[in-house]
Amino acid sequence: MQASLKSKHSQPETPMKLRLQEWWFRNRALIGFVFIFPWFAGFIIFDALPFIYNLYLSFTDYQIGTVGLPPWIGFDNYSKIFTDDKLFGKSMYNTVYYLGFSVPLRLIFAFLIALILNLRVRGMELYRTLFYVPSVVPLVAATVIFAGFLNTRYGFLNQFLVLIGATPVRWLSSPDAIKPSLILISLWGFGGQMIIFLAGLQSIPDDLYEAAAIDGGTGWHRMVYITVPLMTPTIFFNLLLGLIGGFQIFEQVFILLDTNGGPLQAGLVYMLHVYNKAFRDFEFGYSAALSVILFLIIFVLTIMLVYTSNRWVFYGDAQDDET
Amino acid sequence: MKRIRLLTLVVALMALMSFALAPALAQECEGEVIELEFMNWWGAAREALMDTLIGHFEAENPCIRVINQVQPWDNRAELLATAAASSNPPGIIMSTRPETYHFAISGLIIPIDHFVDAHGTDLSVFYDGEIGLQYWNGELYGLPMPTAGGLTSLYIYNKDMLRAAGYDPESPPKTWQELEEMSAAITVADPMGVDVMGAEIIGDDWAFVAWLYTNNGRYSSDDGRTLLFNSPEGVETLEWMVNFTNNINGGVENVSDFFQDTAFAQGDHPWFEDQLAFLRINTSFYGHYNVNDPEGYADTSHWGTMLRPYNGDNPDATHAGTTGYNYSGAWAYTIPTVHPPEKQEAAFKFAEFIGVHPLGGCAFLFAQSRPSPVKECNENPAYYEVNPTWSVVLEGLATDVAVSITPVQGQLAEILSNAIEEALFGVKSAEDALNDAHAEMQAILDEFWAEFDAANM
Repeated sequence: MQASLKSKHSQPETPMKLRLQEWWFRNRALIGFVFIFPWFAGFIIFDALPFIYNLYLSFTDYQIGTVGLPPWIGFDNYSKIFTDDKLFGKSMYNTVYYLGFSVPLRLIFAFLIALILNLRVRGMELYRTLFYVPSVVPLVAATVIFAGFLNTRYGFLNQFLVLIGATPVRWLSSPDAIKPSLILISLWGFGGQMIIFLAGLQSIPDDLYEAAAIDGGTGWHRMVYITVPLMTPTIFFNLLLGLIGGFQIFEQVFILLDTNGGPLQAGLVYMLHVYNKAFRDFEFGYSAALSVILFLIIFVLTIMLVYTSNRWVFYGDAQDDET
Repeated sequence: MKRIRLLTLVVALMALMSFALAPALAQECEGEVIELEFMNWWGAAREALMDTLIGHFEAENPCIRVINQVQPWDNRAELLATAAASSNPPGIIMSTRPETYHFAISGLIIPIDHFVDAHGTDLSVFYDGEIGLQYWNGELYGLPMPTAGGLTSLYIYNKDMLRAAGYDPESPPKTWQELEEMSAAITVADPMGVDVMGAEIIGDDWAFVAWLYTNNGRYSSDDGRTLLFNSPEGVETLEWMVNFTNNINGGVENVSDFFQDTAFAQGDHPWFEDQLAFLRINTSFYGHYNVNDPEGYADTSHWGTMLRPYNGDNPDATHAGTTGYNYSGAWAYTIPTVHPPEKQEAAFKFAEFIGVHPLGGCAFLFAQSRPSPVKECNENPAYYEVNPTWSVVLEGLATDVAVSITPVQGQLAEILSNAIEEALFGVKSAEDALNDAHAEMQAILDEFWAEFDAANM
């Protein structure tokens, strides 16, 4: 047995094999490209080209059925958005309101749950699975469940409020309660962020906590001076994704409140406005312009966040390099 | 009398049987088979009925194969728009009146007058108010089915609840004032809002427009160029709706909560729990009622049909409903432009079958106890067996008034809906809400007509 292994290892490499290895080494970049090609092709076909076409349409009066090139109208769509469209401001306000509360709340909620799930107790795998399960429930199904949950007369939440002597809330029928209801529902999808936080927490070296303990640091100190600073890259990542996703909120509102956005359009979010302009009013050029504006807002916000991240996000490696 | 009833039943049964069995007699096609994708929204219990209709059509037209493509309702708008605008749309599309107009203006569908002439299709079999809704700019774009009428002119009412409140169950309210009185007597509030409701009188813009016509008001001029809903009659109508909702139902939120997550078609509506005395219906409700509660539907001592009440204080007002206003009403079967002539011809044959053939829309709607846009179909005495309140349904159809709209109706409806909500939530007075909405809507309408006139000079 040993002899056979020895002979196998000591076998001289053939010129053919060497040439193949050399070719592989020389063309390793090309091979890498071959592997990413499916994704790249998908990106070009389904993202980049539609984006460019959408940008073009935003400068036209494109309606369905337009034969040939749609009429070029320059910045008319954009000027109409900022001067004539009352629902642009309203839908943007509703979206920013939703974002302003839902993104930080979800971050905090996901972070706290991740902290708890990072404790070393028996059966933690089960708890982690249980907390992640809501995130794999399809959004439509979850929204339908929430519709029943928030029903004013028969919903679980109001029945509970009545039970404890509190006043029931008209979650989906009062203009004042609609946005808080949407924010409440948004917490449901915290599982994705929670998992990322959990991975971040587990990458913090234990010796840092041990050193803090030796120096007399309390749990609070460990949290404020070790956990949070070392988690800032993860917080930054989740914040960025939360903002991008939050601006595009659509399905929940569409299912719960229909295309008009509920009473007094209190839930008319930006994407619903984009949808209505395209598919109800058939103003596809205008709708394209609305979506370009949303893209620019998200793009600028992302740049700002990335730019300011140097001030509050702690990248340990960079500091090590400097020392 | 018994013999006549029996005879009618036998005739109806034979009609239903022939409706079901005839596809078996299909002939073979000797040429090339044309496939016709039929994009429609006849889902739920109606899908099987539509399959039967298609079977009859194919039996008579063996060289045309219709593919029944029932679509989900939820994302209807985007499905329709993308299908119509694609280079390979369905062979025939079921579309509402504003959509038909939009597609017509965009050149996505063809006018069908030449087919009507070539086939000798007799359009006089339709009610004028029904076929009239399918013309845009003087050209016919589709044949109607089901009726556009009967969407707002009818209410069903619960006789037991009237009886319990001390009213004669055979004398439902005729006027707004009687409706108010009876509703106030029936409505029961509870800590969560309303437990038992007399009548719900609000809805989106269409509800206001329907009540407007029962106060001798009008939505727009006949040519569709001028909006007229903010007249004194309009303001009075909206004020009445606001007062009724606030004083009797305890506010608009109570009404929303009362109906939250319920649907008549699903059978979980307060009507089925004897919690609602007066319910505005469209004619599809009879079929849904029969499916969800066959015993209740058969018991006419329990329910009846009445006409939408009118303003008794206005001497010029009378019962009325509207046709062609509702954004989701006035359905027709339209033919995309891009298809070759032989496929368009096949599509017209199918549209004609749906529209005027006795085994088409006529039998299809009879099976749902709802009226047809073809006059003769509704004269079938068997209707009185399948819908015990048939005479009132026909009366309701006769009170319907056609409303002029344009392809920008979707935008106008949204603005008017918001105005109605602003009045109901007390954000604005009825007069201010209507006047503000009118200014905004008329500007959109003027812009549309200016562009249209310029393009058609």
